[in-house]
Amino acid sequence: MKAENPRQIGARVQRFEDVRLLSGVARYIDDIRLPNCLHLTFARSQMAHGRILDVDTSALEDIGYPTWVFTGKDIGDLSMKAHQDVPEMQYSEQPLLARDVVRFVGEPVAAVLAEDPYLSEDAAEMVFIDCDPLPVVGTMDQARDPSIPPIHDGWKSNVFIERQMKGGDLEAARANAAYVVRRTFRNQRQTGVPMECRGVVAQYSPGDRMLTVWSSTQMPHLVRTYISEELDLPESRIRVIAPEVGGGFGVKGQVFGEEVLVAWLAMKTQRPVKWIEDRRENLIASIHARDHAHTLEAYVSKEGRLLGLWADISVDVGAYSTFPFTAAGDPGMAAKVMPGPYDFQAYEATFRALASNKCPLGTYRGVARPSAVFSQERLMDEIAKEIGMDPIEFRLKNIIREFPYKNVLGFTYDPGSYAESLEKIREILADDIAAARETRHSKEKRIGVGLACFIEQTAHGTPDFTRRRVPIETGYIAARVEMQPDGTVVIGLGLQSHGQGLETTMAQVAADALGIDPKDVFVRHGDTLTSPYSVGTWGSRGGPLGGGAVHLASLKIADKLKAIAAHQLQSNKDQISLGGGKAYITDDPSRYIPIRTLARQALRNVENLPEGMIPGLEAEYSLDGPRDGTYSNAVHAAVVEIDVPTGKLKLKRFVVVEDCGTIINPLVVDGQVRGGVVQGIGSALFEHMIYDEQCQPLTTSFADYLMPLAPELPNIEVHHIETPTPLNPIGAKGLGEGGAIGPAPAIANAVSDALGVEVNETPLTLNAIWRLSAHIRGEAS
Amino acid sequence: MTQTTLTVNGQTRTLEVEPRRLLADIIRTEFDVSGVHIGCAHGVCGCCTVHIDGIPRLSCLTFAVQCDGKEINTVESLGGFDATHVLQQAFKSEHGLQCGYCTPGFLMTLAPYVEKKVANGEMPSDEEIREAISGNICRCTGYHGIVAAVRKAISNQLEGQQA
Repeated sequence: MKAENPRQIGARVQRFEDVRLLSGVARYIDDIRLPNCLHLTFARSQMAHGRILDVDTSALEDIGYPTWVFTGKDIGDLSMKAHQDVPEMQYSEQPLLARDVVRFVGEPVAAVLAEDPYLSEDAAEMVFIDCDPLPVVGTMDQARDPSIPPIHDGWKSNVFIERQMKGGDLEAARANAAYVVRRTFRNQRQTGVPMECRGVVAQYSPGDRMLTVWSSTQMPHLVRTYISEELDLPESRIRVIAPEVGGGFGVKGQVFGEEVLVAWLAMKTQRPVKWIEDRRENLIASIHARDHAHTLEAYVSKEGRLLGLWADISVDVGAYSTFPFTAAGDPGMAAKVMPGPYDFQAYEATFRALASNKCPLGTYRGVARPSAVFSQERLMDEIAKEIGMDPIEFRLKNIIREFPYKNVLGFTYDPGSYAESLEKIREILADDIAAARETRHSKEKRIGVGLACFIEQTAHGTPDFTRRRVPIETGYIAARVEMQPDGTVVIGLGLQSHGQGLETTMAQVAADALGIDPKDVFVRHGDTLTSPYSVGTWGSRGGPLGGGAVHLASLKIADKLKAIAAHQLQSNKDQISLGGGKAYITDDPSRYIPIRTLARQALRNVENLPEGMIPGLEAEYSLDGPRDGTYSNAVHAAVVEIDVPTGKLKLKRFVVVEDCGTIINPLVVDGQVRGGVVQGIGSALFEHMIYDEQCQPLTTSFADYLMPLAPELPNIEVHHIETPTPLNPIGAKGLGEGGAIGPAPAIANAVSDALGVEVNETPLTLNAIWRLSAHIRGEAS
Repeated sequence: MTQTTLTVNGQTRTLEVEPRRLLADIIRTEFDVSGVHIGCAHGVCGCCTVHIDGIPRLSCLTFAVQCDGKEINTVESLGGFDATHVLQQAFKSEHGLQCGYCTPGFLMTLAPYVEKKVANGEMPSDEEIREAISGNICRCTGYHGIVAAVRKAISNQLEGQQA
């Protein structure tokens, strides 16, 4: 008889990392304390655009305690460079401390160190930055106005880059269209806001010539490579450690100037140096996101089939290009994903990155897709309305149903459950749709239902980055799996876990391949000394690529365990199974050897190994993404209730139907989806990084930059469909970002449904909804 | 400098403290307690919540010198290294945490709340639980798992009382 081994992949395993996080003993960046440490505070620009006349640090001479101060003149040509290797790109370079010109409020100008963080903060306030104001570029119109001078020397205009993507015959689509629907959509500037701000600690040890850098980052190896290249140090002498990281969401998914500078300062001063970002710095000067404007024009047949799509995409990417995804990242991604889950074969997009005197734009959960899907899904509702069709029917008429599907840009979609998800959500929402209809003529309370149907390219790998020609260059994830003499396992993982639960999910994957308990698998990550080279955790790649790499490396060890067991049980390797901590004869589980015994033999009692077998149980695997990635899909639906006299919106219900292929751990998947959804609700309703006309940031605290709080939210309902992808060894697709993509379009569609008006901008604040409902109150809007 | 006597998680020390030093900083640096996290340092996010004489307070909006003679408890005092407190266990089983940074603040806000509800034999509605955590920001979980954890911690104890 065959043994039944419960599979760990798919099990609701409680997280192994939780105990240290709950007990308070987890060590985040500010808990790294080194003796003799200097504390760093930046003097940052208070002006959005200005020529530096002088950085006066003379007041520090009489301050009464030791200080160290560095300005742009002291650091040579150290800078952040992030270029997309295409001829259209205009390059920007940001000195680690501004040299001649400041280009956004919050740009670092001087680094001030003292032996106590309160004292370095006092000292930094005494640095006087004397600047002559320069004309400010604060809007997309100003960025495209040729009469306003470029913000970077040698530039021809304030456009970082403008390019096109196209496929099929758009002229024919236009000529055959019975309906042409054109709309303009706008998403506000935001920031990702991990609850832990950034921070860097560095120490140089002259004895072994080793530079150790602790940073609250999602990508320790990439930080190491950049520091190595910029400071001209061998990578073998640099160790970068991401300690416990208190949230990232993409904000910590770039290499920052502060990481390079703190390392340089530790070498320069020959003392440990520590910098902990405060919340104001985090809000105004880490990384911003979104800030998209799209104009779309759809060509639709008499029968309601989409024939083609034209798009014009602008993104305000701020003052500098960021490493490694560059200023071209967001607009390029928006143009690439705009065709979405719908079947049409004519498309043309022009996309551009516009410079401004604002904080640079970087990655934030969803990267361009929340904005692209906002435009795409608002447009689908607008078309449905214009041609008099039910919005779900219209989507079902155009949804892709045959897989693999080659889209208009040549990207191949692996199998998903697009139509099935739409059908399922229609069923779930039937009563809400009926209830909404009842309120259609109310002047008091309106109910609206809206949805967003989308796909998300995940598990991007090297082929994708080669096409984009950005400095990330590569996308594989490596895992090194090592079984110890007692049968427990250590995984050195190239990913870094900052809330995703990788210490649990990767252990589950290894446990299945090795036939052991996941509790016996210890996942180490976030330390370049103990993990194989990889580019970090971002882009919904951890589950599929990390999981796949762990699976394949573990199989190599499993194969060796089977060979040893077969030798001792006088059987064949292919007749051995692993499970329940044992290697046993598949057809006769009563004949077995405990795996821990095999491990001991492989590493200690090696005289028992088959002749010629090399001792050891260690294997590494690097898994890269498939050519076009794998495509997760989801439908999000919002039910809103609007109080017309006040404009107050209540989110009554939020439902997700999602398909990320094989689910490794449902507890973790639901957590990722719900967390993402609530960030998306923040984009839809609250979060807005506001600048005035002089590009002064106005939302510089949590009292001004509003995020979703518990009372404003319903419980988020999550339903799963599992379509394992053939492109991944465990069938998993990525899911970390998807939750954040759908809420803004779903909620905007719900508001549009409730009020009977176009809703083309976010955030939908109380004021915005009050204005959108003016016609119902009989006021001019 | 002001002489200040603080008792943190049962450990009493008398320190010379500059009046401007925040309680959060003194607990972290002088008492080597890592379970107090600073999320905003302006009293909005609740990450730094501790108990001062048993009442949840924001340690980033409190000066250490204001706490002379007071008893301060941090998340470390709830369930030790193994996080054995009923609320900590419920956070684990209901996935009420991801990155863990805001978690000590939520636990310190909620521990007395759960205790009070259990003492009164009340099971609060989800709306009430959500109101109880309105002064804490979590960016990872969407609050869903936290609400479920509170529900579970209370219902488990209420059932325990009945049994």
